[in-house]
Amino acid sequence: MDNIANLMHGFSVALTTHHILLMMAGVLLGILVGVLPGLGAPNGVSLLLPLTFSMDPVSAIILLTSLYWGALFGGSTTSILFNIPGEPSSVATTFDGHPMAKQGRATEALSFAFLSAGFGAMAGVVLITLLSGWVANFALKFSSPEYFAVYFMTFASFIGLGGASPLKAVVSMGIGFTLASIGMDSVSGNIRLTYDFDVLLAGVSFLIAVIGLFGIGELLLTMEEGLKFDGVHAKVRIRDVLTTAAKLPRYWLALLRSSAIGIWMGITPGGPTAASFMSYAMAKRSSRNPDKFGKGEPEGVIAPETADHAAGSAAMLPMLALGIPGSATAAVMMGGLMIWGLNPGPTLFTDRPDFVWGLIASMYLGNVVAVVVVLATVPLFASILRIPFSIVGPVIVVICFIGAYTVGSKPFDIWLALAFGVIGYVFKKLDYPIAPLVLAMVIGDKAEDAFRQSMIFSQGSLKIFWSNPLVSTLMAIGLALLLFPLIGVARRGVRRLATARDQ
Amino acid sequence: MITRFRAEITTAAATALFGLGIVRGALEFGIGWDSSGPQPGAFPFYTGMLVTLASLATVGLTIVRRVAGSAQLQEHFLDGERARRVASFFLPLFAFVVLSMTLGMYAATILYLVFAMRFQGHYGWLPTLATALGAAAFFYLALEKFFQIGLLKGPIEPLLGL
Repeated sequence: MDNIANLMHGFSVALTTHHILLMMAGVLLGILVGVLPGLGAPNGVSLLLPLTFSMDPVSAIILLTSLYWGALFGGSTTSILFNIPGEPSSVATTFDGHPMAKQGRATEALSFAFLSAGFGAMAGVVLITLLSGWVANFALKFSSPEYFAVYFMTFASFIGLGGASPLKAVVSMGIGFTLASIGMDSVSGNIRLTYDFDVLLAGVSFLIAVIGLFGIGELLLTMEEGLKFDGVHAKVRIRDVLTTAAKLPRYWLALLRSSAIGIWMGITPGGPTAASFMSYAMAKRSSRNPDKFGKGEPEGVIAPETADHAAGSAAMLPMLALGIPGSATAAVMMGGLMIWGLNPGPTLFTDRPDFVWGLIASMYLGNVVAVVVVLATVPLFASILRIPFSIVGPVIVVICFIGAYTVGSKPFDIWLALAFGVIGYVFKKLDYPIAPLVLAMVIGDKAEDAFRQSMIFSQGSLKIFWSNPLVSTLMAIGLALLLFPLIGVARRGVRRLATARDQ
Repeated sequence: MITRFRAEITTAAATALFGLGIVRGALEFGIGWDSSGPQPGAFPFYTGMLVTLASLATVGLTIVRRVAGSAQLQEHFLDGERARRVASFFLPLFAFVVLSMTLGMYAATILYLVFAMRFQGHYGWLPTLATALGAAAFFYLALEKFFQIGLLKGPIEPLLGL
């Protein structure tokens, strides 16, 4: 029961007026970021990160994680009221959430969404509380080859399970790795790949990439679509919230199943978006009346929301315990930890227990704060969306570029953000996945170090990755994930041959 | 008119070239083995190769699908109407970046917001100026005063004594 004692200590760290205020500020900023198109959770965290460099790490991570919770909630608000998902992970919420709102059940839909999201997040945090210490202890046995195998597994699952074309995922990931290797080489101390440009000496910051790819790229796409907000008015009354809350236990099966899906997809880097779609599909398939889905079925709101938030919080487990982010936002936060001078991974639990358990405790509090704040501020944020996009769009542009400049006070970064914006726009239009690029930029150096150290141990033999049961298992899982799309192609090929023979 | 086929091929060719550029850069630092293990160029060399090969495979796959008659590849990547909308947003944005470099970010913010609201959004001068100056003042107070982070400044700020 070490974990419980640690958690109590964590609460004593997190439960101060200062931190509660930071949580509220973070949640409010997060909802704003989640509501506005072009600004998502990864982008919001990137923009805020440079402002936290001078803060103490515990306060900084509380602010950033609260922003993350807020952004997840904000994304669902626009899905339900405006039929516009503020975040990719809340696309599935539009299927039934918006029809409910149009039938005049907006409050019910919002309350179901927020409460089930809160439930999902709690399930994820409870899991982190119970498992993180154990996972970290297990990971202490890891040395370089095992670490490389875990990184390999992470990227293999992106390629195999990401849903996008595996080739495009490889391209995106490879670009991330090469961008990460620009500048100082941490092993030899050489300066690499700068092509004699002084501006590249310090490397390319992943924050600039996120701001460009997710922020400016997304805005260009939004403008191309010719965005029109045509929303449903909503006023949230306490009584309606309570009557909805009373109905929630009826959906216990959906809540538990969706939490399980979300947690699984959060820990393996499937991410919240995949989790919400999968959970929606499962709910529809197992429902007694699947015809109601898509026409305003509460379970169609509960299932994706629970899974989305469960995945969002569960993604923090591999980030803390292994140093492997489970989502793009977690990747940005992990980059933040490294900038604050912390080393994410199993040693963090012994080196900085106050930080780890303060963060975990703040997740419990942060989600409660987030549910309350979001219910209280729905009308306010809905009215923000009524401001015409011709004002909001340019203001977001300015925020993105100012954010890019504050990362390192380098004018070159502004150009770089612009370039990443164009790349992000083209990549999104052609279905290149962007999350692997960001992930590779953040953990690229660590993966390279792990690989090089393994090679030094083994005198250059790749056999080291099959040298003991642990590393072999990890590599085998990675290879299986990598080959997963090929199985699908082969199956389809066989079926086509079979039908051709029948004819 | 740009079809999706052309866009796919162009993008894949660009990423292939990027990969080759990295491969060339990595060769300078050695891709072999020395006393301290793999040389610094090795990892970028192989990731660059991976990008190039995957890009070439994308080109190949796209051509095969085109020959097989995929309807998706015949679609417009960007038609006239959409291109106009993107350009009307992107060009001022580009001007904002250029102005940031020459006049500083505060002046660029004001000019950009005025242009977008007054000349693209057709708002009156009063709300336009209020928004533009308000935004610049907000960023100034929040960043320079509260967070003590300086933004890129141009020739105008010293004249105002800021």
